Amino acid sequence: MDKAVSHLWAMRCLYVFLVVLVLFLHLLPLNTQPDRWPFPDVLIALTFAWVLRRPEYTPIAIVAVVMLIADLLLQRPPGLLAALVVVATNYLRSAAPGMRDIGFFGEWSSVAAVMTGIFVLNRFILSVLSVQQAAFWPTVVQLILTIAIYPLIVLISQNGMGVRRISAADAGIVGARA
Amino acid sequence: MAKDRSQRDEYTTPLRRLLLGIVVLCLLGIFLVWRIDSPRVERFRAQVVDAVVPSLEWAMVPVTATVNLVRDFQSYQRLSEQNRELRSELRRMRAWKEAALQLEQENARLLDLNNVRLDPRLTYITGVVMADSGSPFRQSVLLNVGRRDGIVDGWAAMDGIGLVGRISGVGADTARVILMTDASSAIPASIQPSGQTALIKGDNTAVPLVEFLENRELVRPGDRVITSGDGGVFPAGLLIGQITADPGGRLRVRLSADFERLEFLRVLRYQSAPAIRDSGDIVGPLRPEASLTPDEAADG
Repeated sequence: MDKAVSHLWAMRCLYVFLVVLVLFLHLLPLNTQPDRWPFPDVLIALTFAWVLRRPEYTPIAIVAVVMLIADLLLQRPPGLLAALVVVATNYLRSAAPGMRDIGFFGEWSSVAAVMTGIFVLNRFILSVLSVQQAAFWPTVVQLILTIAIYPLIVLISQNGMGVRRISAADAGIVGARA
Repeated sequence: MAKDRSQRDEYTTPLRRLLLGIVVLCLLGIFLVWRIDSPRVERFRAQVVDAVVPSLEWAMVPVTATVNLVRDFQSYQRLSEQNRELRSELRRMRAWKEAALQLEQENARLLDLNNVRLDPRLTYITGVVMADSGSPFRQSVLLNVGRRDGIVDGWAAMDGIGLVGRISGVGADTARVILMTDASSAIPASIQPSGQTALIKGDNTAVPLVEFLENRELVRPGDRVITSGDGGVFPAGLLIGQITADPGGRLRVRLSADFERLEFLRVLRYQSAPAIRDSGDIVGPLRPEASLTPDEAADG
């Protein structure tokens, strides 16, 4: 049982480490010219992929802190995107058991729908509060890229880091822990 | 086991909902406070950046250096071609150098005659670029000098040649420079030789737009753009770049500073920069109601 708990915390640390790595790569001053293409939002894709597979690796508090730090470091309006992502992960958490049966394409399309929802709500709230926003089309491109990169991140998480859905054999261990 | 799980959910679900509610309320609260009192939250952001980014520097510096080394190595492949270009450029530069030396001597003589003293207030602090904005929609860099080195919000930052941006957000050891290419940057400029004034407005591309130009006919591609010093934002006469026209016919500025690789920036000490303490009021007469948002008004 102790082994399970330490494994759980190791995976949580791995999640935080991956987030720090992504932020680190974003902040590297390699090219100070404006980018021609926006890059995908890897943090959101990573968080969703992990929440749908192992919700216990990404508890609400960690997701909230991580996204808030990302908001602060990446010059976004602090708190708004973090709140939307936390709500979205909570929705996915509750929808995760149902997604086991609908296959990867079903999962992908619902993740795409949630990401689009976040995008629309974010833009809507910012425009209601008349905050200066980035141009429309580049952000749409970013959304599409984020959706497109999701399968890749799922692949890496599953095969590289062993973040898989709980099989019947593992369920006993987790049940016993609780 | 199914029963066991449902029993567990009975206890955990309300708790989790409560936690979720608190967390989301906190985050939205931060966002609203930021919207209402943005300078204070931005100061907090500067402090967070100040605490986080320098602690990543030990890893950032070698990685950046390695990538740049690889890039330099790639450029060796074009070495002979570059060499030829440089030679021809050098020949042209020799002619210019000669002209500059003559002008310098003449200038020195004239200054001497007039007993002119150059503005002693324009000294600078040099900083190294530590990090960039990290977002595709924001153009800014983080310098390794901050309040401890006497940096103040609003000062101009240049590379060796041209204007790069202005300081916005100062931490104890770091300062953020909003680049001229950022969408929130607008800098009053004058275009030489016609003397027309305009606003150089960034739009997330490498070449900012020229806006609020009075007479377009007087401005040609190739004209020099320098800061006008209007509004006391920047000292007058800093080089910005040259006018170009984009395929749509709009005037833009090709920046003189080398934005491809910003490494060392000079921050000009400039005393008349106004301090920004509150989240700006609407500029101009109170009625009729101006359609500017506070952000735009604060930007001037």
